[in-house]
Amino acid sequence: MIADAKNTRDVPAIKVQHLTVSYGPVPALLDVSVEIPQGQLVGIIGPNGSGKSTLMKSMLGFIKPDVGAVEIFGTDVAQVKGRVAYVPQRGSVDWDFPITVREVAAMGRYSYRRWWRDLKREDFRLADEALEKVRMSDFKNRQIGQLSGGQQQRVFMARALAQDADILLLDEPFAGVDAATERAILDVLQETKDAGKTVVVVHHDLGTAAEYFNLIILLKQRLFGFGTPRQVLNQKLLSDVYEGNLKVFAELAKQSGDSLSEDDDADDDDPNGNVEVEHG
Amino acid sequence: MDSMTEFFTEVQLNYGYLIRPLIVGTLVSIVCSVVGCFIVLRRMSFLADAIAHSMLAGVIGGYLLMKIFYQQDSNLTAMLIGAILSGILTVAMVGFVTKFSRVKQDTAIGIMYTGIFAFSAFFISLESISQYIQIDIYHFIIGDIMAVDNAELWLLAIVASIVLPVVILFYRPLQLTTFDPIMAAAIGVPVLAMEYLLTACTSLVVVSGVQIAGVILVVALIITPAATAYLLTDRLDRMIITSAVVSVLCFWFGFAVAVFLGTEPGATIVVIMTGVFLGGLVLAPKYGLLADWIRKSNTVPQEMMEDVLGCVLRAKGKSVPVTEVLKHIKKPAPRVRKSIIMLERQGLLDVDDDKVLLTDDGRFQAKRLVRAHRLWETYLDRTGTTPKEKIHDTAHRLEHLSDEKTVEYLDDKLGHPVTDPHGSIIPNDSELIVGKDLLLSVLRDGNRATVVKTDEAAAPSSLKVGESITMGPRSDDGEIWAVITSDGKTLSLTHDEVDAVVVRLLEKS
Repeated sequence: MIADAKNTRDVPAIKVQHLTVSYGPVPALLDVSVEIPQGQLVGIIGPNGSGKSTLMKSMLGFIKPDVGAVEIFGTDVAQVKGRVAYVPQRGSVDWDFPITVREVAAMGRYSYRRWWRDLKREDFRLADEALEKVRMSDFKNRQIGQLSGGQQQRVFMARALAQDADILLLDEPFAGVDAATERAILDVLQETKDAGKTVVVVHHDLGTAAEYFNLIILLKQRLFGFGTPRQVLNQKLLSDVYEGNLKVFAELAKQSGDSLSEDDDADDDDPNGNVEVEHG
Repeated sequence: MDSMTEFFTEVQLNYGYLIRPLIVGTLVSIVCSVVGCFIVLRRMSFLADAIAHSMLAGVIGGYLLMKIFYQQDSNLTAMLIGAILSGILTVAMVGFVTKFSRVKQDTAIGIMYTGIFAFSAFFISLESISQYIQIDIYHFIIGDIMAVDNAELWLLAIVASIVLPVVILFYRPLQLTTFDPIMAAAIGVPVLAMEYLLTACTSLVVVSGVQIAGVILVVALIITPAATAYLLTDRLDRMIITSAVVSVLCFWFGFAVAVFLGTEPGATIVVIMTGVFLGGLVLAPKYGLLADWIRKSNTVPQEMMEDVLGCVLRAKGKSVPVTEVLKHIKKPAPRVRKSIIMLERQGLLDVDDDKVLLTDDGRFQAKRLVRAHRLWETYLDRTGTTPKEKIHDTAHRLEHLSDEKTVEYLDDKLGHPVTDPHGSIIPNDSELIVGKDLLLSVLRDGNRATVVKTDEAAAPSSLKVGESITMGPRSDDGEIWAVITSDGKTLSLTHDEVDAVVVRLLEKS
């Protein structure tokens, strides 16, 4: 609304307008428009292949859209440098790459130095501090492949912290980590949000979505819903997005109250749905 | 002094022809292996190979152009520019095919470079063309470092003085775009431009490498030392330096061997490089096969540590001499000793005066194992999958599958048995924790608890939330649970009924 209000709280952190991205004849994203306000913890939810990662990569300026635009604090994403930090999906990292934990964390400082300059001592100090925050200081000089899954995730969290960006994007950070790491990541995300930053997380587990995020983007090629978990995670929207699968589960749940499968936490919000205790 | 001068003069006379190739080769080895590091990490080796082969087309194009229009023979600059252009053309065509067809990149590379190479060979063998051409194709294919002239030396110096500063200057952007292109894009590094830059460097390096090893072997100069360095180091900067050092040493050694044996220098050098790589593969301190083997034989398998725990548990709280443990576990003594040390470090065993004693944690873990073992025995017995005499041994192997979910599944499937087929009690101390919410079904005789939650299937039991109960002994082969309510009534409940009630454990016995 106000042209020169780039850093005021009213400007959306991320503004996606009519975004269409295609890799082949089928669009990965179709006419997605969403405005993420500042200081929120947002989950992008949707089934496999629903364009969650594509949306995230567009927000990072890595993908050029066919149509539409992404603005970061009111500036076109292509012009924005370093205000968005990124934690990649674990499966997409080359863990054999010759790089140490400390060097990865220090990458967070790259955006603060001109590309031909060396990093300064200050940068390594900040990288070390970030590693301290995620309790990875003891592994500083390890090559990144020699860590457990949870530790690997935390190294990239440290990189994002060292970057000290206003927006933090994470691609499936909870996939394949143990409960303790999940808790630790969630704590860091919450702290980051409380510090007034915006956090966006690609997440596939419907069951935990309502608990983790205060805003949810429900996506399957198109935008199906954006709002609080209560607004978005309703039976109708979910069955639109997840099609048959969820309907079947819902039917099953109504007929026989005793055979809820583990991943069918979708209707937790349903006031009538008793929580079942299932052994094994 | 005179003899010194004489000596040098003599060297100059007899071996002077070796000096230029030696300088050239050293230079080429360095640039090739440095760029090679990025090529290896980006998995572009095959593309480098393709660029090398398709160069022939560019070389011929440049040659013909100068010959026909300027009547110049073998104009090196034109041939070089032609070579670089053809390299870039190959990369562009590979990119085009990959993007607009369903053919994947490796196939696209294979088609394009053989196609361009074949086209050049076809073209120069045409009679109307071949009369103009005096290119030594053999030289091009095999490489001939001995025949390097001054012009080529200059060319290589220029290539090196372009490529090395580029890699040093662009080190961070190259590292970041190789490792995490998405983050690179997010902080404003031009990812595509870096890719072009690296492709251009690769073309330059290939052109220079062809002088030594020819189109077929040039890719080895680029990737083999880099791959060797990859096995030896954990950091990119060190990898680049190691790669250069390995490459130069291999070149010098290979060159010397070629001079003394009179063999083909390019091939000799590549043989040495490959040998060094294989040596590294076996001997590298961290990622070598030998190191891997030693590490494996040094680590104590989880199973052995669990066996030790089980063995000490059988002493029922008394400490056991280490020699006794060694006698029971029929495995090499040094490794059993090692597993005892590991267990002590994990706080599961106390070792004192060559005797071992379980700590509280250790006892807990050991009981968990006994529980898994006995549940597996019960399972094997009931399912009849295993002959009776083998049940114990099979269960002994299976007990190491003792994660919580597996054990819980077995326990539920078997109807929460109290004893195993030999009549021994199946311990469930690891389950029964006072104050924890549990299914009523896991309680044992004498446990007291309050009901926390029930559901429809529990209706026949008529238990109410908040009610305290005491568990009585099981009957009917353990299939009927006896629950004593606070007013003294005894309810007989089935597995499904007790599974439908959640209780909070108050007291164990």
